[in-house]
Amino acid sequence: MVDVSQHELVPDHTVLDDPEEVEAVLEEYNVNKTNLPKIKRTDPALRETEAETGDVVRIERDSRTADRAVVYRLVVE
Amino acid sequence: MALDSPKELGAIQFGLMDPETYRDMSATKVITADTYDDDGYPIDMGLMDPRLGVIDPGLECRTCGQHSGSCNGHFGHIELAAPVIHVGFTKLIRRLLRATCRECGRLSLTDEEKEEFSEKLERAKELGEDPNDVLKAAIRQARKAGRCPYCIDQSTGEPTKQHDIKHEKPTTYYEVQDVLSGEYSELIASAMQPDPDDEDDPGMAPQELAEKTDIPLDRINQILSGEFRPKADDRKAIERALDIDLTEEDMNKLMPSDIRDWFEDIPDEDIEAIGIDAERSRPEWMILTVLPVPPVTARPSITLDNGQRSEDDLTHKLVDIIRINQRFMENREAGAPQLIIEDLWELLQYHVTTFIDNEISGTPPARHRSGRPLKTLSQRLKGKEGRFRGSLSGKRVNFSARTVISPDPTLSLNEVGVPRRVATEMTQTMNVTERNLDRARRFVSNGPEGHPGANYVKRPDGRRLKVTEKNCEELAEKVEEEWEVNRHLIDGDIVIFNRQPSLHRMSIMAHEVVVMPYKTFRLNTTVCPPYNADFDGDEMNMHALQNEEARAEARVLMRVQEQILSPRFGENIIGAIQDHISGTYLLTHENPQFSETQALDLLRATSVDTLPEPNGETETGDPYWTGRALFSELLPDDLSLEFTSSAGDDVVIEDGQHLEGTIDEDAVGAFGGEIVDTITKVYGETRARIFINEIASLAMRSIMHFGFSLGIDDESIPEEANEMVDEAIENAYEQIQELIETYAAGELESLPGRTVDETLEMKIMQRLGKARDSAGEIAEDHFGDDNPAVIMARSGARGSMLNLTQMAGCVGQQAVRGERINRGYEDRTLSHFRPNDLSAEAHGFVENSYRGGLTPKEFFFHAMGGREGLVDTAVRTSKSGYLQRRLINALSELEAQYDGTVRDTSGTIVQFEFGEDGTSPVKVSSNVENEIDVGSIADRVIDNEFTSEEEKARFLGTQEPPTNLSEYAGPGLNKAGTQEVESDD
Ligand SMILES: [Mg+2]
Ligand SMILES: [Zn+2]
Ligand SMILES: [Zn+2]
Repeated sequence: MVDVSQHELVPDHTVLDDPEEVEAVLEEYNVNKTNLPKIKRTDPALRETEAETGDVVRIERDSRTADRAVVYRLVVE
Repeated sequence: MALDSPKELGAIQFGLMDPETYRDMSATKVITADTYDDDGYPIDMGLMDPRLGVIDPGLECRTCGQHSGSCNGHFGHIELAAPVIHVGFTKLIRRLLRATCRECGRLSLTDEEKEEFSEKLERAKELGEDPNDVLKAAIRQARKAGRCPYCIDQSTGEPTKQHDIKHEKPTTYYEVQDVLSGEYSELIASAMQPDPDDEDDPGMAPQELAEKTDIPLDRINQILSGEFRPKADDRKAIERALDIDLTEEDMNKLMPSDIRDWFEDIPDEDIEAIGIDAERSRPEWMILTVLPVPPVTARPSITLDNGQRSEDDLTHKLVDIIRINQRFMENREAGAPQLIIEDLWELLQYHVTTFIDNEISGTPPARHRSGRPLKTLSQRLKGKEGRFRGSLSGKRVNFSARTVISPDPTLSLNEVGVPRRVATEMTQTMNVTERNLDRARRFVSNGPEGHPGANYVKRPDGRRLKVTEKNCEELAEKVEEEWEVNRHLIDGDIVIFNRQPSLHRMSIMAHEVVVMPYKTFRLNTTVCPPYNADFDGDEMNMHALQNEEARAEARVLMRVQEQILSPRFGENIIGAIQDHISGTYLLTHENPQFSETQALDLLRATSVDTLPEPNGETETGDPYWTGRALFSELLPDDLSLEFTSSAGDDVVIEDGQHLEGTIDEDAVGAFGGEIVDTITKVYGETRARIFINEIASLAMRSIMHFGFSLGIDDESIPEEANEMVDEAIENAYEQIQELIETYAAGELESLPGRTVDETLEMKIMQRLGKARDSAGEIAEDHFGDDNPAVIMARSGARGSMLNLTQMAGCVGQQAVRGERINRGYEDRTLSHFRPNDLSAEAHGFVENSYRGGLTPKEFFFHAMGGREGLVDTAVRTSKSGYLQRRLINALSELEAQYDGTVRDTSGTIVQFEFGEDGTSPVKVSSNVENEIDVGSIADRVIDNEFTSEEEKARFLGTQEPPTNLSEYAGPGLNKAGTQEVESDD
């Protein structure tokens, strides 16, 4: 099976394992976890990570407008 | 019971309604189908009972005591003789029947499963997913059960078997049971016979069957003779032994009363598990036992000219329901046979169904005597003209006008010419104060027909008085402070202007009124691109704003000059178009010289009233000014810019002087004209508006100075050029002939990935394309640079060189579906050609020019290609329109928040930073080569703000402010004192 996370078009997905880090993100945007965008646990980009349902992943991708853009997603079923 | 309507809604709850609630809120029970008695009075307990509200003026409501107009009406009710199914819930009823036990009513899910689905439902709600998906999954799971996990069938001692439910649309439900076929003995006997087609099959003796099935032989014999019906186990054993199916489906119709009883058994906690709030909605309420009768005010009768009353469709339907209801009751009391009762029951169901929805598939719609289908409850709500889309989200409005538009180059792009007729009809409210009292009186004394006049006045006590020609003088004197005067629109009022289809935000912009004679709205031609308007009969709408907030908002945010930059591509969408561009091209391309009179004439419609230093002197000693120098007069003094124009030369502007290059579409055009774009971004919208207005005026003056027209002779080329074109085409024909011969000889080599046929087609197309191009080049060579069509094409004003090629040289290959024309007759396109003729002329090559004229065959091929184009545009617009509607509906609730995120209404984040960089597309540079010089803008702003170097230094922090000053002396605090209030236009 191909590991897509190594492909140049797939941005870096990192699981935030430190609860404080998650808390900081939620604090910054003043949201509940459930108001974050979602990503499926079975998403090919998450295959190599140990993401569990309920985790928050940080995705850092190239951006046309801002060079680099950081988004957070909640892992769901 | 008069309910005060709430002014603010906290929440809305949807649920089912308890029949008891229907009875409670009912003003009266309705028992007679009649409406009015012979004297024209409403009959008691009839459909027009005065307790249901009143519609005739003068009558008093017997429930609330109010008169028509103030009484909203009151519901009544009909006691149905037998329960009927509510059509709106047929799907949910089917689901519940399938998911619950017919004996005990419990949901066929184990406790763990219930728990699981409850949790899933909770999670779906949290994540903003569709709870319906979970519900459907739960029903599917319950349906799989087959047997009830909670109760035991007394007759078999096993858990109760769940039968399949069949739903026959719209409102009939059957229980499907597998029962022993009536012909079981014959089926078994024939299966035991030896197969005549198979010699090896000896058949099966009863003895053998008995052994195989463990059934005693005498019982087998009894079964075979049809004396004994085998029980389920024996039946299955026989089926297995003989490999046959002995069952048949038996459909047992479920009457609404059965379903109601069934649903009553469903315990509350079970329906909670599938997402129904049992407190508010019990499933048995989906079976109607009481029918609410809408208030009379919701179904008013109208009196026709001949004095006859015509009743509303709903009333007609209610009459039907009451009649059948009565017949049902009478028949039942008389002990009529079951068949008749069932027929009446079905009829009652039909009438109640069509009362709710008269467009159910599979049910004939209830019709009026004239054959028109009745418009019942659901039809009032559904669709474009229904209550939601037609009356609530959109409705016709007051203070709006619509008429044809026409151009007026003397207006500013911020303005709109409004016909006097419109201006005297649409009003603005003036609150009379001591400061505008005189003005207000003048408006009133001008009356409703004079302009600027007034149509209404409102006294402080709230009385509204109409201003008429007769009373205007008198009324004007009575007007005092605190009155309101509805005065006509006058010059400078702000209005909203719109052209449909409103595809982007620039389709609705605010304009300032200029009242004008005649009957069309007038607009500056530079605002045509944002509205996508032309003047071939286009109409536009105008809306007069009715309060100060709206007017302020429109002026600040919606005025045309605020929309010069398009958020779609971040460049200007307003700018010079068509003749403006030809005009600036003529003015600057060869940099012509103008005398003083001519120069002043060119600039007369601009704010430039003194000429600059002349550029030189003519031989006769008169001073002259060049076109570029005159153009430079419109530029900001410190503008410096360099870019390449669409004509291909380098444009150089230094310190507000245009030194080099031609001003064309790329410089001043709409859709990203470099100079307009830069001025808007660097010098602001107001400067840009002035520039666009003036460039348009200058361009119009200049094109009129030179004169500009296009006739048929402008597309003609000399005879020798025509011969060269013919020769080029002849050459192509010869080469194609060679290609065809090679192909016929089977020697044509195919291109990679193509067949030989495709290769030939491609090569022919290529060669013909080249032929047209060379014809175009020949034609182009013979057109002078002063040819108006060439000027328009080069400057980007209108048209292209291709258009010119087709007019003067050769129209070229016509295509349908991207191929040469191949359709028509068998093996040929027209009967004028031999079959399988592969030549250019037989497949739609038009060798003539538009000017020279097409042959009949060419004309026909051209029409084929043209038709495809028309169909394509028609299909594309409708497709893209629908696509856009869906996109807009999907995105309309997204909003950029103050923290920079983009969220939907539930607070879910869509973007963590708007556009990932948090900037507006109209506030940043449109491309890398053309970056906005923020430093110079800041310098200029600061220079303007501070009069002395000292203050400036203090503001910039290079100098410490003195400490012993009062706080009122700080920098920037006397802003209002020095800042000029700039007027609009
Ligand atoms: Mg038009
Ligand atoms: Zn009333
Ligand atoms: Zn049961």
